[in-house]
Amino acid sequence: MNVRVLRTELKRSLAPWAGVVALVTASTLLYLISEPWSETTTAWTGQWTSMALWTRTPLFYLWPLAIGLGALQGLRDHRSKISDLLTSTPRPTWHRAATLAGTTAFTLVAAFVSLILVGAVQVFAHARYTHLGWLPISLVGVLALVAATVLGMGAARALPSVLTPPALAMGTFVFTAVLARTETAAAPGATGAEPNRLVLLSPAVEKVPNALVTLSAPVHLGQTIWMLGVASTGFALLVAATPHTRLLALAPVLAGAALALLVLPADPRRVFVVDEAAARPVCDGSVCVSRAQRARLAGLAGPGKEALRLLHGALGGRAPETVRENTAMLPDGAKPQWSRTTVLFDFDDGMLAAAEGEEVTRALIAQGMVPGCSPVGWNTFGGDQFAQTVAAGWVLGDLEPLPGTGSAALNRDVIARVRPVWEELMALPRAQQLARINAMHAAALSCEGDAFEVLKGGPSQ
Amino acid sequence: MRWLTLYAHSRQVPASLATVLTSAAAVWALTRDGSAAPGGSQLPAVVLTAGAMALSTGLGGQDLDLDRSAAIRWAPRRAAHVLLGGAIVGAVLLTVQAVGQDLATTEFVARDCAGLAGLAALGAAVAGGRYAWAFPFTWLAFAFLAPPPATTVPVKVATWMLLPAGTPAATWTALCLAVVGTVLYALAGPEALTLPPRRVLRDRNVSAARAG
Repeated sequence: MNVRVLRTELKRSLAPWAGVVALVTASTLLYLISEPWSETTTAWTGQWTSMALWTRTPLFYLWPLAIGLGALQGLRDHRSKISDLLTSTPRPTWHRAATLAGTTAFTLVAAFVSLILVGAVQVFAHARYTHLGWLPISLVGVLALVAATVLGMGAARALPSVLTPPALAMGTFVFTAVLARTETAAAPGATGAEPNRLVLLSPAVEKVPNALVTLSAPVHLGQTIWMLGVASTGFALLVAATPHTRLLALAPVLAGAALALLVLPADPRRVFVVDEAAARPVCDGSVCVSRAQRARLAGLAGPGKEALRLLHGALGGRAPETVRENTAMLPDGAKPQWSRTTVLFDFDDGMLAAAEGEEVTRALIAQGMVPGCSPVGWNTFGGDQFAQTVAAGWVLGDLEPLPGTGSAALNRDVIARVRPVWEELMALPRAQQLARINAMHAAALSCEGDAFEVLKGGPSQ
Repeated sequence: MRWLTLYAHSRQVPASLATVLTSAAAVWALTRDGSAAPGGSQLPAVVLTAGAMALSTGLGGQDLDLDRSAAIRWAPRRAAHVLLGGAIVGAVLLTVQAVGQDLATTEFVARDCAGLAGLAALGAAVAGGRYAWAFPFTWLAFAFLAPPPATTVPVKVATWMLLPAGTPAATWTALCLAVVGTVLYALAGPEALTLPPRRVLRDRNVSAARAG
């Protein structure tokens, strides 16, 4: 299709409006869900992979919309009531159809790409870790939009009714939005949350779980096969003229679905995999972060080493030796796993995210002493935080609230609550203090028993 | 009577009605055994939106110029079309509920029907009957996406169609949409705000012919 045809179609068809509607609504949706101003590592503008995954989320609505808009375009010949005239010309039908489908797909893809560009400019300013691993994620999204437009056009040509566009859009929306929320038997301890294989036929990504994960290769491959099947059926429907060939045109989409379901991962835990390259550690002495977060290493190295030195002074031989970012991916609801020799931390942890300057050391010491035993993905407040406050106070020699626990009133509450325990602990002889702290540390690392109870001299001793 | 038949035929009423009934039957089949737990207010909202989208395709008519040249009072007829359409969409869902599982309260259905019918009419007045379905559809997508515990007023307005009956913000949003949409459509008619270029062209030809 040359530029002149494209320009004429842009002037005379619905295509520019399709692009405008898609861009405006999709960016509004994206800003609504992604909390773009937050400082979490999974923010839209934080990393390339997160950005690409976030731009895939509005597809749950954009993909059905593309089918509906494609169908509206496909009705144009029917509306003009000159189909007989057109069939009598030597030029094949699909020539006209292809120019129209191409224009609509072009504007929709342009809207999607501008969304990515807006994100990319911001990521470029933020992130120091650049890679191309995010490209397949966005390319599959582009392919999905093109396939949806072509399918919509083909379907509208096969069923030329004014009701076809809304019916197609609504049907697809029910598929992408409602089915995506069906509960599946996922990892032990977790219900729902993880998508099943059928849901992967929708190009929309439901959530961005972690900055270090990416979609696995089988997901890309399966979705590409499925979208090619959808596009082939759409194109075949554009060309087909008799009911018999129209039925035959449904073959590619069915074959694509069957083939894709074979390729797509059956295990929900294989959908998102850890991006090995992004998770590779970058170290400054004994303090390590993932490559994706390299920019934050400089601010963390000093406090990290200081925390290790203080822990070594307090615990002696039992102290952890390294500080590193937690790059393990556990399913939601699983029991966290901690190491005795390493202080594992997470940039999205509320305590560390809120810490500044001196407080980073306190937060890392608290994390090293009591890593916290709430199941992965859960947010609790209670015994673990009390134990952290006392333990960090014990190592540093003064009882202060931990960073990021909340309001000043809450901090006062926590301090008032743990002060008797802290005073009782400090009144003991040094050897008994150490014994109690060690017992608490062991309980906290294994997540068996309540660390705060052990610190009080409770049942586990 | 003859006018009504012709009007219903020209506005795709039989096809729209068939679509509404089909979607309601699908919901009935889904919830009949009670095993498919309805996801709160989402399923009825989806059904009612589908009904409003089917209704909106009939708000356009075959030939805008021909319609406008008819010497009849359009305003009450257009308003009646919107209101009756919304009432039918709601009545179908309530009937399905009567024979199957309870999905939503009557107040919920009445509020959503009124708001969605108004939204569809607004879409028809702005963009014409062919494109009006995009309005309820887009709002449904927004409602689905907003975080569930709606606390602030803007979020309540955005998710009005999913909130339980009796929420003031949602009721007022629905009422505003119903009134504004119906009045605008009744007074101005379809595509009031986006006049198709061919009309302008024709007018110009007419004036050129007169000048010549």
